[in-house]
Amino acid sequence: MSSTNRKLYGYAGRILRINLSTRRIKVEEVNEKLARMYLGGRGFNIAKLYDEVDPSVDPLSPENKLMIATGPIPGTGFPLGARLNVSAKSPQTGILGDSNVGGHYAAEMKYAGFDQIIIEGRSSRPVYIYICNGEVEIRDAEGIWGLTISKTYDALRRELRDPGVQIAAIGPAAENMVKFSGIFFNRVRPAARTGLGVVMASKNLKAIVVKGDGFIEVAKPVLFEKIVDEIELEVYTHEQYWPRRIMGTSRILLAANKIGVLPGKHFTEPVLPLQYAFEISGEKLALKYNVKNRACFSCIVPCSRVFVVKNRENAFLSEGPEYEALAGMTVRIGNNDLEKALRAIELINDLGLDVISTSEVISWAMELYSNGQLTRNDTDGLELEWGNMNAVFELIMKIAYRRGFGELLADGVVEAAEKIGKGRDIAFHVKKLEMIQADPRGLKGYGLGFAVSSRGADHLRSEPFIELMDNAELGAKMFGEPESTLRLGVRGKGKLVAYYENICALVDSLGVCKNLAENMNILNYEKISKLIESVTGLELTPLEVEEIGERVVNLERAYNAREGINKTHDVLPTRFLKEPLKKGPSAGHVVELEDMLKEYYKAREWNPDTGLPTIEKLEKLGLYKVVKDLYGIVKSASFFEINKSSRSERG
Amino acid sequence: MWCSFLHEGVFSSSLSRIRVIRDDLIGMDYPVVCKHCVDAPCIRACKANALYKDTGGFTKLDKAKCIKCGECVNACPYGAVFQNPFDKTPLICDLCDGKPICVSKCPTNALSIHPATEIPVKNPAQLGKRYSVALSEYRVLLERWGIRVKYE
Repeated sequence: MSSTNRKLYGYAGRILRINLSTRRIKVEEVNEKLARMYLGGRGFNIAKLYDEVDPSVDPLSPENKLMIATGPIPGTGFPLGARLNVSAKSPQTGILGDSNVGGHYAAEMKYAGFDQIIIEGRSSRPVYIYICNGEVEIRDAEGIWGLTISKTYDALRRELRDPGVQIAAIGPAAENMVKFSGIFFNRVRPAARTGLGVVMASKNLKAIVVKGDGFIEVAKPVLFEKIVDEIELEVYTHEQYWPRRIMGTSRILLAANKIGVLPGKHFTEPVLPLQYAFEISGEKLALKYNVKNRACFSCIVPCSRVFVVKNRENAFLSEGPEYEALAGMTVRIGNNDLEKALRAIELINDLGLDVISTSEVISWAMELYSNGQLTRNDTDGLELEWGNMNAVFELIMKIAYRRGFGELLADGVVEAAEKIGKGRDIAFHVKKLEMIQADPRGLKGYGLGFAVSSRGADHLRSEPFIELMDNAELGAKMFGEPESTLRLGVRGKGKLVAYYENICALVDSLGVCKNLAENMNILNYEKISKLIESVTGLELTPLEVEEIGERVVNLERAYNAREGINKTHDVLPTRFLKEPLKKGPSAGHVVELEDMLKEYYKAREWNPDTGLPTIEKLEKLGLYKVVKDLYGIVKSASFFEINKSSRSERG
Repeated sequence: MWCSFLHEGVFSSSLSRIRVIRDDLIGMDYPVVCKHCVDAPCIRACKANALYKDTGGFTKLDKAKCIKCGECVNACPYGAVFQNPFDKTPLICDLCDGKPICVSKCPTNALSIHPATEIPVKNPAQLGKRYSVALSEYRVLLERWGIRVKYE
């Protein structure tokens, strides 16, 4: 096809493949077909993962592949465009492992010359990879193996004698094979979910460092500048702009308290009295501790905050925390001491754990302890009463180093419940991924999102943030169902979640932040289509752009289906389906999952009996290989149709 | 970022005339950019006379004369002269002829531009030690606002 030799703007243009077993390095081109079908980031990752990592691969074997990819937007001056995706088969869930992260890494990676980095094989001893201006060095990491994230960060900068290098590293938790440990970018920005740090550790890879002097060209600079100006104006005048700048996502804690969806004491107390909630809120953090803001690369909403705890004994300074961490180390475990929570979050980050999963395993153990199913004999003498932070600090260390009681929890809440044969019903997870800090009984769209998400119980696959506005008019306008945008509504949720899943997949593929597309709701398909044209030169209609998101979601579903996931796995823990919330503004509600699921499959045009994409749907999206894998049908529609579908409605 | 876009037409931090030195351990983001020194070490170091002061007192580069020796890079006490990694010419802030794009793009107004002004202060030692100390601290603040203090 002639399209392969057309210049693609916006991309660095190359894919780097490093095999740590053979130490062989290969460089591939990003071709137009791949870019048209998947754009980049999450799309590139799932496309390669689907082709190369099949069900026979054990997640911790050398055959698993760790992929880091970013989209066409990072590295340009586009605001809120600095994200990248990390994917592999997850050792935590056994299905698709995928996590998204911001910071300065994505841009630096493109300046170093690569859109995607694929790590294969396994090194025989600890190494780290240094990628500088297209050159790749595999360097010895014996000396830094075992170090915490911050010490690794410092050691690598000193070894390379360059403060400007961007570092992705794993901590001791990952090295000890704790199933829910992440990869940390820029020290405090983890790709933490689904245990990708363990994949990296299994390859004996401590860190991936990038540095680049390259540049990114955009296809239509004048149009690009115009789009940026328009978007910037919309962002600056958005009602969420200042709250986000002042508090980041930590402001959600009080908002969640107001509507009664906090995960208090392991999802038993959805509301706190206001004065207690305030003491641990983002507002309090902003008033008392925050000193300055930091931003990701080229971002105009500097939502990350540097805080200082001025305490005579042990003062400390760090960055964050966001809502998930804050709520996880406060309400979820019954703690109301903000300073101790900050310290716990710092410890979790430094050891390289996923704070969401850590908070679930700890609060799970605490609930068992509180109703007497666990005793001090089981917990190595730790008194796991709600809010006992001294025990929590100790437990975090035990988990990270797999000592004693920590060993039990280090495989995640599902396996912990299996091992002791208790608490299976209160192990809150979907597809083995622990649940985030929002009670789906008061946020039903989120509930549906957790159930169908391609990586397990996580909100960032669909993020129907619009629910929180509780505005029926929006729902009527967008989905023809006024209930769809009400947080306690049921009808129309299928359409809502499917719509936002597509957008999420699309912005993850572009490399743009979800705050722009989901939470502020600024990007729509028209704008994205123009943006892609101005940056890459690819002319895609809004419909084709929408299809990219849909294609990624369908391919991810197919990937999981190949691993044995089907409709029976689209569930929520029973507490959310059977036990109504007892208190607060959402009292009396459960998640009506069955009804929403039916509607969701319909909106997705998937088979309602199996929960799998239909042949028609897959063919429409040009996923012919998937049809063969899932249905065993070899389509006669050969190259001609594939080419046609990927070029349809062009211009 | 926008600096390199305006000057070179591409996005790149290595072609930018303003760089941010970051440290994720201590949360530092500090911009390094040409201070347009009155007695500029880079101009003194330039053997080819490619660097000069224009009428407004800004340091400018005559690209045609530049021999790409990199002496100016070494001479700058602030490390604010960068070298273009592709053609090795120095990258020195030219304040975009009075309308710096970094200032207009800065979302937090951390960067701002002020006309250079100078206020004279007579011998502070005469007013005692405390006054001198206070003035030297205040001077730092004033200089951030673009006001130079000149001791007479």
